[in-house]
Amino acid sequence: MGRILIVDDTLFMRTLLKNILFSGGHDIVGEAGDGDEAIAKYQELKPDLVTMDVVMPKVNGIEALKGIRAIDPNAKVVMCTAVGQEQMVKLAIKTGAKGYIVKPFQAPKVLEEIKNVLSS
Amino acid sequence: MALVPVKIEKDGKWLVGRIDLQQDSMNVVEPFKAAIPYKSVIDLEEKKNILIVTVKGDPPVIYRIASVEKVLQAMKRFIAMSCSAYRLMAYFMSPAVRGGVMVTNATWEKGAIAVLKSTIWFVSQNKQVSVALKEVTSMEITKKEVQKNQVDVLKLDHMENTDVVTSYVLCPLSTLQILINFLKDATKDLEITGEELDPVAAQVGMLIYSGMDSHAIEKMLNIPYKNLDEVYEKLLKLGMAEVTQVRREVQLTPKGVRFITESVKPPT
Repeated sequence: MGRILIVDDTLFMRTLLKNILFSGGHDIVGEAGDGDEAIAKYQELKPDLVTMDVVMPKVNGIEALKGIRAIDPNAKVVMCTAVGQEQMVKLAIKTGAKGYIVKPFQAPKVLEEIKNVLSS
Repeated sequence: MALVPVKIEKDGKWLVGRIDLQQDSMNVVEPFKAAIPYKSVIDLEEKKNILIVTVKGDPPVIYRIASVEKVLQAMKRFIAMSCSAYRLMAYFMSPAVRGGVMVTNATWEKGAIAVLKSTIWFVSQNKQVSVALKEVTSMEITKKEVQKNQVDVLKLDHMENTDVVTSYVLCPLSTLQILINFLKDATKDLEITGEELDPVAAQVGMLIYSGMDSHAIEKMLNIPYKNLDEVYEKLLKLGMAEVTQVRREVQLTPKGVRFITESVKPPT
């Protein structure tokens, strides 16, 4: 089980992910609402994994991923994209994302992906 | 070509039998005799490793057949490639996304798409995937990167047991348009016409999709059960949800309270 930082600009999606990950036995160490906050929280909390929304105000998920990878090249970041943003997936993978989930998502599959990334 | 072991249903009973699989037909040789030319098959469904083969007739004849995976694979391939259906050669990727998670080893399969009365079949040499039309949740023509080119594909979302799965079909755009029009027509009962959900109902819908139960939804949205029940009622009325279970809330009677009180007393 991992210590996870959830990054999403909507409270609803953060709460949903928090519930799913908590039900899977993970520890939610923090939440961030934009890319800047995500980078700062990553540095502060050193989580095992980050779930990162792609489209966010100010600094987006791809830029935040770059920022986090600059701090920790081995950071495990799972990107969350909405339907229709699948093209972003390739860019995220190139940038170093370890996994990706597409919204809307189903709890068991999300937990499976998180488990895979944590054990990779 | 090959005599294969099967179990076949007759008069509600499953009987052990054998089927002779040929290039253009399959013939039941035991426990009864029946010739099934693939061309006469008008529908083919798969439910939990059982093939349901509907053969043209008045009324149509339905065969339910169970067997080992290898035999069923051969049957599915033969039937889907030769039966009475709208068929087109295409590449397909199924599943590409499952429950919101990309399937990492998903690859394009070269094969055919066969659209039957109740089911769409993706068929290649090694893979046969069936999608019941009533399980299709959405479809659209979209762009997808294939070998560094953005190409038109049909994106098909459908249910597979309780998972929401995305599959892709790749073929010329004109064929995709024929296919999507056909599918839209075949699944028009699932269209939502005019009934808009308010933001709370939409959030409830999203949470149900994600697998949250009533208790979790109440807590997450901070709404009382009465309001949640009203949303459920709306979703049920719109045919967007179905009841899976009714949970009861109870309180202890004096007898129950007495039992609990007694049970925590230290032994004397």
